[in-house]
Amino acid sequence: MGFFKRRTILIVLVLFFIAIQLFSLDLREKNSQNPLSKLVLSITYYPQMAVSTVTDKAVGAWRDYIDLMHVNEENKRLREELNALRQEKFESAEIKAQNARLKKLLDFKDVSLYPVVSANVIGASPSILRSQVVIVDKGGADGITEGMPVASYDGIVGRILLAGDKSSEVLLITDPVSAVDAYIHRTRARGIVKGVGSGCVMEYIENKSDVSVGDKVISSGKDGFFPKGVIIGTVTDISSNGSFISAGVSPHVDLNSLEEVVIIQKSVNNVVLNE
Amino acid sequence: MNKTVTFVSLLLVSVLIITVQSTLLSPRSAGLLFPDLNLIFIVFLAVYSETKGSFLLAAGNGYMMDVLSGNLPGTFTISRLSAYMLVRTSSNHVYLKKSLVLGLVIFLSTIFTWTFILTIIRIKSDAGFQFSFGDIILQGLVNSVVGVPLFWAAGRIHARFQK
Repeated sequence: MGFFKRRTILIVLVLFFIAIQLFSLDLREKNSQNPLSKLVLSITYYPQMAVSTVTDKAVGAWRDYIDLMHVNEENKRLREELNALRQEKFESAEIKAQNARLKKLLDFKDVSLYPVVSANVIGASPSILRSQVVIVDKGGADGITEGMPVASYDGIVGRILLAGDKSSEVLLITDPVSAVDAYIHRTRARGIVKGVGSGCVMEYIENKSDVSVGDKVISSGKDGFFPKGVIIGTVTDISSNGSFISAGVSPHVDLNSLEEVVIIQKSVNNVVLNE
Repeated sequence: MNKTVTFVSLLLVSVLIITVQSTLLSPRSAGLLFPDLNLIFIVFLAVYSETKGSFLLAAGNGYMMDVLSGNLPGTFTISRLSAYMLVRTSSNHVYLKKSLVLGLVIFLSTIFTWTFILTIIRIKSDAGFQFSFGDIILQGLVNSVVGVPLFWAAGRIHARFQK
């Protein structure tokens, strides 16, 4: 320890206690209105967009190349299907899949009670401390504000944690800080869906409630953030602890391969439950 | 090289690293085996940079990590600033120029910063983050393995620009 100056140790200890105090502050009150936070989002928006675009193009080109290789092999083996394969080689599976996803998003827009804005995922959290955060390419300039729910055609994704001018951070429902007031669709048993990193768990379901593996979980709309009746996931396991039942919930949306989302422009009515 | 130019260059490198870390090397895609380039950068600043503004760069990089990691309130800013100060204080030590010691410094810096953060989280147990000490050790090893060659390359570039 000789080479650490005593003063440095003292400063680090002071910093540690400052960090504890900062961590104690309420999540809602901290940086969401801080212009510096929004500045960071604005500064990183263009490089993130550039990397995201280049990566998408590189991945697309590689997939096209793989597709072409596949088509060539098919041509060699199946000469009689040459014409059909020639047509196929110009069709990118990626574009097809994207078209399908976008179509579903448009369908979602049509049925949504609130105006929605489509957005692309351009980045994610740089830290494993809170990895359940993604960055999308829409922000305050598109009418996005903190707390707005984010969904995909498959169900709830999360909510806006911080809105910059051109990009925003989305807190996924699998983040431990996230909480969604929810119902079991079949029996209307109510509980809170919390994130556990790899998935979700529905807590505080009354012991007498009827819950089974395979039941669909939907948002109740009572937390003030998420609209009512949007699917969250499916019950995978059930455990009882005291007077409540806990149910493991597998999110309906594949959050690991999230590319396009819709931000529901619903104003926040109340305070989220566990913050 | 002009100190202002050095500062601006290091600032741009800082933004570049945070961009790479939040896109190509985000833990969401790379998992636990991702190297923490930002921490390696801060250790680099503490060891090599003669720029007085490197303290600000370390704080700025930590703040960007805070904002992009779900708007955490100063967690990274303060933990990394502390790591910067500890490494900076010890960086006069002659052995710090050796690769093995550098690897050890990066490893210990990783352990320090995460222990710092985890201690805060443990004190505030309602925070709900799930992260084990084994994960920290693993990340420390990855950072050391990736960091030493990066240090070697960055040190050479830095020395060339300093001339």
